Amino acid sequence: MDVNQAKQEHLLALKVMRLTKPTLFTNMPVTCEDRDLPGDLFSRLMKEDPSTVKGAESLMLGEMLTLPQNFGNIFLGETFSSYISVHNDSAQVVKDILVKADLQTSSQRLNLSASNSAVAELKPECCIDDVIHHEVKEIGTHILVCAVSYTTQSGEKLYFRKFFKFQVLKPLDVKTKFYNAESDLSSVTDEVFLEAQIQNITTSPMFMEKVSLEPSLMYNVTELNTVTAGDSGESTFGKMSYLQPMDTRQYLYCLKPKPEFAEKAGVIKGVTVIGKLDIVWKTNLGERGRLQTSQLQRMAPGYGDVRLSLELIPDTVNLEEPFDITCKITNCSSERTMDLVLEMCNTSSIHWCGVSGRQLGKLSPSSSLYLPLKLLSSVQGLQSISGLRLTDTFLKRTYEYDDIAQVCVVCPFNGPDS
Amino acid sequence: MESHESQTPRPMSLDIVGDTGNNQSGDPALSEVSSAQPPEVVFQEENIDLDGEAFITPQDDSSSDNMLDKLNDQMMESVMISDSPNNSEDDTGHMESLLEQFEDGEDSEPKESECAEEMEEKAMVSPKITVEAPPPALEDEAADEEQQVSAMEREVEYAKPPEDTPSPRSTELQEPFDANKVTPKEEAIPVCTIFSQGNQQRAPGQALAPDGFQPALVKSPSFSSGVEASSRLAPLVCQPSPSLSKFFTDNGHVNPASDFFDSFTTSSSFISVSNPNAESMLPAGVAESQPSPTAVSPPAPHTTPQKPTTPSLLTAPPAPESLAQPGSAGTTLQPAFSQLQAVFSGSDDPFATALNMSEADRRYDAWLPSEETRKVLISVATQQHSPVFVERDRLSMPGLRFDNLQGDAVKDLMLRFLGEQASLKRQVFTASSVEQSFAGLQQLISTKNWRAAVDLTGRLLTAHGQGYGKSGQPTTHTADSLQLWFVRLALLTKLGLFQNAELEFEAFGNLDQPDLYYEYYPTAYPGRRGSVVPFSMRVLHADLPQYLGKPQESLDRLHSMKTVCQRILDNLEQGTAEDGSMISVTQENRQASIQLWRSQMYNSIVQHEPERKAQLLSGIGRIFLQIGDIKTAEKYFQEVEKACQAKGDGQNPDTYVLMNRAFVHLSQNSYSEAHVSFSEVLKIDPKNPVANNNAAVCLLYLGRLKESLGQLEGLVQRDPTLYLHESVLFNLTTMYELESSRSTQKKQALLEAVACREGDSFNAQCLKLVSS
Repeated sequence: MDVNQAKQEHLLALKVMRLTKPTLFTNMPVTCEDRDLPGDLFSRLMKEDPSTVKGAESLMLGEMLTLPQNFGNIFLGETFSSYISVHNDSAQVVKDILVKADLQTSSQRLNLSASNSAVAELKPECCIDDVIHHEVKEIGTHILVCAVSYTTQSGEKLYFRKFFKFQVLKPLDVKTKFYNAESDLSSVTDEVFLEAQIQNITTSPMFMEKVSLEPSLMYNVTELNTVTAGDSGESTFGKMSYLQPMDTRQYLYCLKPKPEFAEKAGVIKGVTVIGKLDIVWKTNLGERGRLQTSQLQRMAPGYGDVRLSLELIPDTVNLEEPFDITCKITNCSSERTMDLVLEMCNTSSIHWCGVSGRQLGKLSPSSSLYLPLKLLSSVQGLQSISGLRLTDTFLKRTYEYDDIAQVCVVCPFNGPDS
Repeated sequence: MESHESQTPRPMSLDIVGDTGNNQSGDPALSEVSSAQPPEVVFQEENIDLDGEAFITPQDDSSSDNMLDKLNDQMMESVMISDSPNNSEDDTGHMESLLEQFEDGEDSEPKESECAEEMEEKAMVSPKITVEAPPPALEDEAADEEQQVSAMEREVEYAKPPEDTPSPRSTELQEPFDANKVTPKEEAIPVCTIFSQGNQQRAPGQALAPDGFQPALVKSPSFSSGVEASSRLAPLVCQPSPSLSKFFTDNGHVNPASDFFDSFTTSSSFISVSNPNAESMLPAGVAESQPSPTAVSPPAPHTTPQKPTTPSLLTAPPAPESLAQPGSAGTTLQPAFSQLQAVFSGSDDPFATALNMSEADRRYDAWLPSEETRKVLISVATQQHSPVFVERDRLSMPGLRFDNLQGDAVKDLMLRFLGEQASLKRQVFTASSVEQSFAGLQQLISTKNWRAAVDLTGRLLTAHGQGYGKSGQPTTHTADSLQLWFVRLALLTKLGLFQNAELEFEAFGNLDQPDLYYEYYPTAYPGRRGSVVPFSMRVLHADLPQYLGKPQESLDRLHSMKTVCQRILDNLEQGTAEDGSMISVTQENRQASIQLWRSQMYNSIVQHEPERKAQLLSGIGRIFLQIGDIKTAEKYFQEVEKACQAKGDGQNPDTYVLMNRAFVHLSQNSYSEAHVSFSEVLKIDPKNPVANNNAAVCLLYLGRLKESLGQLEGLVQRDPTLYLHESVLFNLTTMYELESSRSTQKKQALLEAVACREGDSFNAQCLKLVSS
């Protein structure tokens, strides 16, 4: 033991133990029937074992609490708790004991001691106990620095320190995806769907107590992680609310701009702040952890100056038969009037009917025009409509629109029935 | 971190579009100049890096900028420089001692459990105030190392016993064991001549017989086969295994049996391939059969009973069982019957016993083989006179897979810490110090000398021809040999020697080989049907993988067991035969302690066993607590409360409620309230060991180490039978380590207390003496 020698130098011994949650003792039930060779021996032994649950001895998980067996892992967002005990190993009374516990992280030094006042005296075989807590907010190396200063009976002032180093690890891996839904007829941007993939990168199962999205000012959020069946909602993850190590879960949120922002939304371009994820999890016996992501940002879909949207399109058309679509062309720029020329380029399957290169006329800012177009497909199957080009003659700038929509092209003579 | 403008179309996103906006068929997003084709739904993916900057704990929002700045390592150094203001004051004076202290720590690692590693303070030695930050890389390594070390230690602990044991033990054993001529060493060696002299002596005292090797009549081919020369005579003296008997008697004919024992087909190889000890084995068989209580008749008469049809023979296997465990068999299903049996067990009315037993047998042995196995069994049954050909790989060919593991960790520790003198005081049963029989085995089990018991099963199995090195050789099974296997594997499991258990289980496959059914042995077990493998062994087999980190496999096995049980039940309900001990089935399933399914299984069990509702529901609740799902746990606990209220009477139920409350408090970090609840339990039931221990644990979390320690110490001293349990001792030693520098002495005191009470299966690790 280290301290055996140390105490020759020092009258006090400092011991530190991390207090993770205690664990429930598990016993190893092996049962047998009475007619088996061991007879009732196994069950009798289990009954006598104090750690079994009386009346249900073969339950593996008992009720006996055991103290943490090792330091374990500590993860960002969890609380680091530690027992600090200063014990007087000597035969003499020690005076003016000051125990100081600091936590040194990569960025700062925190004082964790409950009290900073000195203890007047400590009798032999007595302890000064302290339990410290700290919510871990940084990743990486942490060093718990415990300093003890005291005065011996002879008046000598002594001081020693101990260092306890531990690593704080990342508990979760979070990935997000944004989906911009564009609903009919309405404003330029509205709903945004956020998919958050949360992966448990610890080594133990994790109960996800809360995964919520705290939206920024501009948005209202709806969580889409429950399926309402009857009166009660059921989680999309089923009954099991925990996440095994390395498992990933997808959470889905729908964000709607608040009305007061919705009007401006068309104008909002580029990066918008969506909000942040707030995650609370628990592990063994309620050991709690909590993290928030930084503000999630998304790039609003860039519509540029001219936006082309579809107002009308059939979903199924006949092969080599003309069909109509209606496009809506919006001048999204704030103050510039455009003079647009429409070109239509055929692709291998889609053929535009009509004159390419025709003038659409002037389009003032924030106004739009509807443009009926005719085209036909020469190939069966799901065909993508591509090949529209708009050129702003003022700026000599060309906007290309491909893959605008899909239509299903069927052969009328050999319909789906045959 | 910024969303990249990935407007490249992705099929995935398009699919999603289908739902939301097919009708409106989206407006294409415009991308200037580029040829990219914007899908309706812009798909972005970003990887949030969860480092300090990205992930801030809630309270810390404001300081995020701050952290951003400081995240680099250089900063850490500079911060470290400003390290403790007072370090200069004493560096000179006490640094050496600190260093020393640390180095000691390195050597002995006294508290792997207590704390992260102590950091070396070498950097501090330099009187300069600018202290370099400790090189992180190095320390990481150190940290890793230490972790590994502790892990290693554990492993070593497990691994040790087998190695340790032979040396001290074997010598010791030799003496008593001479009688049996099975020294552990020899036993371990595949080629063993041990039985050449040994068996005659073994016979008298060793009732392998009680139910044991009486059916040693059924011998594994591996050893009786060697007896070719004498085998012609053998049947007169001893019943060979059915298949063998056929083999021998039918020898002249064209015989598929020769295919069966492919290794023995030619007579030359017959002798050489089979074990050299085979010759001696036969006498062993003879000897064993003699003392069996049922076989009161001298060996010779055995020849006649070999004709299985006589009722007297029917009794042969079962009767001894009832001797071994008077009155115990069949209690669950037929209490009345067990009395009957008790009466008959000693009596001379074999006929009645036969009837009773076969009834019970049928009930317990019932098992449904797989289709393939069933075919084999049918062909065995129908082709009585020409043994069927069964491929080798369809047979279970078990054998011991490792040498003796016997050893006594407690004694080793005593030797190490208390000296030889003290260690001599440690007296426990060993495999040699008990009867070499089932009775001896039971004695070892009940005195918690499971390691010795495992050794004994090894010896008994060796006697049966399934010893070390015999795996992979065809053999025959008897009800007793499989019971031995079950006990052995069960004990290995209980001892936490899962790998060993798995290794030895391997030969049994999925416990569905044809030779594991009674039908396979029409001669030895005429008319008996069903599984030779005890149901408990199937459960054990299913449970085992979960301890080895393969819960899914456990689940699969349990489910397939459940399916069979369900089919048996269905058969029963339809009024046909084949019944299973369903009561135990559900019980067993309870052990299926894989979190995923636990709750569901338990739930159904709750319905089966209403009288244990409170315990079971609490158990489910605790499982959820352990996972961290407090809400769900509370739901179950509420049901417990309801159930207790419904019962309404007696104090007992209240303890469940209080316990559960305590656990909930605990998981909400309110240790003081948890302590109150545990204390309330103690008011009702002052001797409740769990509540006592748990209350002490709570005290520690409240910073009241001395009280906690006092409480536990008091408990252990007052009532050692109850509190010398590994969990309590573990807590106690942990607190010793935390409390004082003299923990080793205190632990040694505990060791002494343990030494005079506990058997060799005691988990000495909980004393935490080894690491120092």
